[in-house]
Amino acid sequence: MLSLRMLLRNWRGGELGLILWALVLAVAVVTSVSLLAERIERALSNESSSFLASDLVVQSSKVTNAAWLLEAQSKKVSTAQMLSFSSMVFNDEDMHLASIKAVEPSYPLRGFIKRSTTPFTSDESLIEEVDYGPPQGEVWVDARLLPLLNIDLGDQIELGDTSLKVSQILVEEPDSGGSYSFFGARVLMNYADIPSAGIIQPGSRVTYRYLMAAGVDAKKEFSEYVAWLKPQLDVHDRLITPDQAQASIADTMDKGRRFLLLAGSIGVVLAGIALALASHYFASGQTKQVALFKSWGISAHRVRNIYFQQSIWMGLGGSLVGLVIGFLFHLLLLFIVSDWLPIALPAAGPRSWITGLATGLICLAGFTLPALWHLPAQSPLVVLRQDAVLKPLSSAVRVILGVGAIAGLLLWYSNNLYLSLAILSGFGVTALASILAGLLLLRLGKQYGQRLGSIWRLALANLWRRKAQSLIQMVGFSGAIALLMIMVVVRTSLIDEWRFQLAEDAPNHFLVNVASYELDGVKQLVNGQELDTAGWYSMVRGRMTAINGKLITEVQKDSHESFRRELNLSWTEELPEGNKVTQGEWWDSSAVTNLATTDDPEGQVVAPLSIEDELAGELGLTIGDRVTFSLGGLSFEAQVTSARSLNWDNMTPNFYFLFPEGLLEDYPRTSMTSLYIPPQKKLLVNDLLRNYPTVQVIELDKIIERIRTIVAQITRGLEVMTLLILGCGVLVMFAAVSLSMTERLQESAILRTLGSSRRLILGIQLIEFSVLGAMAGLLASAGAEFSVAMLQRFMFDLPFSLHSWLWYTGPSIGGILVGSLGVAYSRKVVVQPPLEVLRNL
Amino acid sequence: MIEVRNVSKQVVTTEGTLRILDQINLSVADGETIAIVGPSGSGKSTLLGILAGLDLPSSGTVSLNNKDITAMDEEGRAAVRAKDVGFVFQSFHLLPGLTALENVALPLELNGDVKALETARYYLERVGLNHRTTHYPRQLSGGEQQRVAVARAFACRPTILFADEPTGNLDTGTGQIINDLLFDLNREEGTTLVLVTHEMNLASRCNRTLQLHAGREASTENNSEMVR
Repeated sequence: MLSLRMLLRNWRGGELGLILWALVLAVAVVTSVSLLAERIERALSNESSSFLASDLVVQSSKVTNAAWLLEAQSKKVSTAQMLSFSSMVFNDEDMHLASIKAVEPSYPLRGFIKRSTTPFTSDESLIEEVDYGPPQGEVWVDARLLPLLNIDLGDQIELGDTSLKVSQILVEEPDSGGSYSFFGARVLMNYADIPSAGIIQPGSRVTYRYLMAAGVDAKKEFSEYVAWLKPQLDVHDRLITPDQAQASIADTMDKGRRFLLLAGSIGVVLAGIALALASHYFASGQTKQVALFKSWGISAHRVRNIYFQQSIWMGLGGSLVGLVIGFLFHLLLLFIVSDWLPIALPAAGPRSWITGLATGLICLAGFTLPALWHLPAQSPLVVLRQDAVLKPLSSAVRVILGVGAIAGLLLWYSNNLYLSLAILSGFGVTALASILAGLLLLRLGKQYGQRLGSIWRLALANLWRRKAQSLIQMVGFSGAIALLMIMVVVRTSLIDEWRFQLAEDAPNHFLVNVASYELDGVKQLVNGQELDTAGWYSMVRGRMTAINGKLITEVQKDSHESFRRELNLSWTEELPEGNKVTQGEWWDSSAVTNLATTDDPEGQVVAPLSIEDELAGELGLTIGDRVTFSLGGLSFEAQVTSARSLNWDNMTPNFYFLFPEGLLEDYPRTSMTSLYIPPQKKLLVNDLLRNYPTVQVIELDKIIERIRTIVAQITRGLEVMTLLILGCGVLVMFAAVSLSMTERLQESAILRTLGSSRRLILGIQLIEFSVLGAMAGLLASAGAEFSVAMLQRFMFDLPFSLHSWLWYTGPSIGGILVGSLGVAYSRKVVVQPPLEVLRNL
Repeated sequence: MIEVRNVSKQVVTTEGTLRILDQINLSVADGETIAIVGPSGSGKSTLLGILAGLDLPSSGTVSLNNKDITAMDEEGRAAVRAKDVGFVFQSFHLLPGLTALENVALPLELNGDVKALETARYYLERVGLNHRTTHYPRQLSGGEQQRVAVARAFACRPTILFADEPTGNLDTGTGQIINDLLFDLNREEGTTLVLVTHEMNLASRCNRTLQLHAGREASTENNSEMVR
């Protein structure tokens, strides 16, 4: 226990301050980031599960297999059966083709249903969240059904052979994204009422959904169940995961997750740098003590043991304190952002705690132990002669060990090779540039400094004289600044990308199937409400009848609905905004002009066709395949020339099948658009449907609202993480400033003794640190630009762009921040008597 | 006792080989006090380092209490230092984060002495600092710091004490007090004392004075004045 006693004495004597705080803060930052990230991540996963109202869904045209339900019970899997179809609902003379959803009482398994007793309200205080569906004999309906059927809450409506009581207004279903309300208002009813309604007959067009969710603490059993279930699915069954459930939000959530990961990883690296600098500082302060021990006859082996044991104690103690502070800090952050985040975030698992503890111990092994490694070999002669200081473990070995530790931690933490490589290589570029360009800059500074005033001359000469130390500091500063800039750039590009989704007036309704003769009337109705559309798009409806000359088979029709229903076909000259060609080539203007001449030998027109890439995969279509379409009795052939990915984020019309202009215009066409309808003008939908019964209205307002909430949460989570990591960056700078402070304070105290003014001493420090910070900032800009380019390319799928602002922000922020820290640290030299300063060093 | 035979020390510099010590021979009996004097650069501190086993000669042998430390490895020399050797340095070398008591107790604790604090307290009392045990070095005057260092050196009960300019950093008055303390304790403990000094006054209090000049033994004198 001697080592522990010595450690406590060292702590009390203030020698451990920096290294221990660096360790505590490293662990605290990583723990709080991990806890926060893990809890937000879990909340996001729950949120995405709630898009399905479950963890997993099997969608089918058949009723759920009873054996599946039995097996589910044995694996503690919660289940719910759901059935959706369109059917007429009546109240006396009034009727409406409603979109019916029948659910078992256990629905929803994830998320909540929002209901109200006040129609058309968006007042949260009037809306109630429940985790069960309507009881038998009752229905919960879309508010707009009330005026459509001329009914009030409490009235009865007829559905098939049964009469059901309208007891609640359905404000939101968790899984509304899974089935758009194409045909009409939603009616949510109890599954047990289906037989009495007598409306489901063999051959009825209904969709069954079998919802599953893992039981409490039964994730493993759930995986086993899913593994058991998968082989039993046939062509009629489709497995739907939370990510597939909502394409438009999956990407955002994925990027949100990646950003949390990036921020956490940067936190890990920053913590590592802080500890490396602090360890260097600590080790250089231990040289004399070790020499003294050895002069007392303490063997090298014993010295190594003492320091090893002290490091272990320090690692455990610092990590434990760090874990506690990290936990409290994450609670504080949650408290600060409580208005922004979901009310009840799920608790974190053990991983965050293990990450925190591992960070402490691995950083200690990677940075502190190598820094102390040479100490036992220290010659005892130092007690007699100051020049007998032993060289520390070679920098190359220490860099390898340190980078190894950081790389290991990064990989383990992020489980992502690209991310780890991008951060490490960005930091590597910065560090290398810091050393090479730093030397050059320091030399230039020294040369040009000669022509400047005396303070500048002294300051720049000092930097050159201490060049080894200056370079280490510059690596620390530039590394920290670069990592912070990387994070800010990625955060800004993500938020810019999501801005559209966050816009209050993003389109939330699609109007489809507007016939040419209805177009003016519909436009008038929309304009009458002073609403703007995203522009009108024309399309024709057609069926696929053959692929490569072979007719579509019944098996194909069973396997995908695109083979059996009419498809929306549209035309355009330019690749639509947000679309990306993933295979083949987009047609150029000459191909379009020459369309009429691109005939096959039989003289039939073969049009180029561009198809959405995922659908192409599902339908088994590849570039070069010929697809025959039938439009109102006429048929034509097209050849797949390109596949496109679509952008689902922007809520403007997207088309799975696109043709060049000049081919489809003569077929009977319909029009579509998207537009924003605010809640108070929602009744426009009823007017539209009453006046134009064939127009389809796709209502996305509830989905959009949910997307907006989630994107807002992710964005705010992102801001919190950014702030947290910025704090971590300041810690690194603090550690780097401390590195040279003993020597600087000593020199300043001597200058003070010789009568130098406060202005001269602080001036020198200000210039030294500001110049160091500005140089580091400049180099950091290069490193950040490099890393961001890699991250944009490989991780966030964002377009590459140069960030000119980095190049002036880096040096100015570096100069100001490092300069102020340096001066703040040096102030005691000019306020305390020099002798006191020297005695306390 | 200390036996030095033909000890030389050379170092290679950019300007060629530099001979710091040349053929030094010396015998110091148990309980004897000897001063090594000479101008700056004459090799005094180098000789002290070699005698104490902190450094190795280029040639020649050194025996402490009949153990040839020049034939030992570093671990062996460390063991000899732990058992037989104590030091008092010019710049005190107290650990700034430790109190006076802890500074004295530390080498004892490192050597596994369970009564380290008790012994330390006893020796602090002997140097007249029993009222300063909880003070940190920065709260002590230079003279007090050196008294703590003297207490630390004697607390380990060495048979040989090496002192390197023990009063070099102190004013004459304070230096005198430290010298008295050093010689009194040395006499009471029966320790062999080897001290390096510039001060002839201090050297004259030793049984013998070894005068070095450019690494060579210039003269050895038996001092007529015995320790007070």
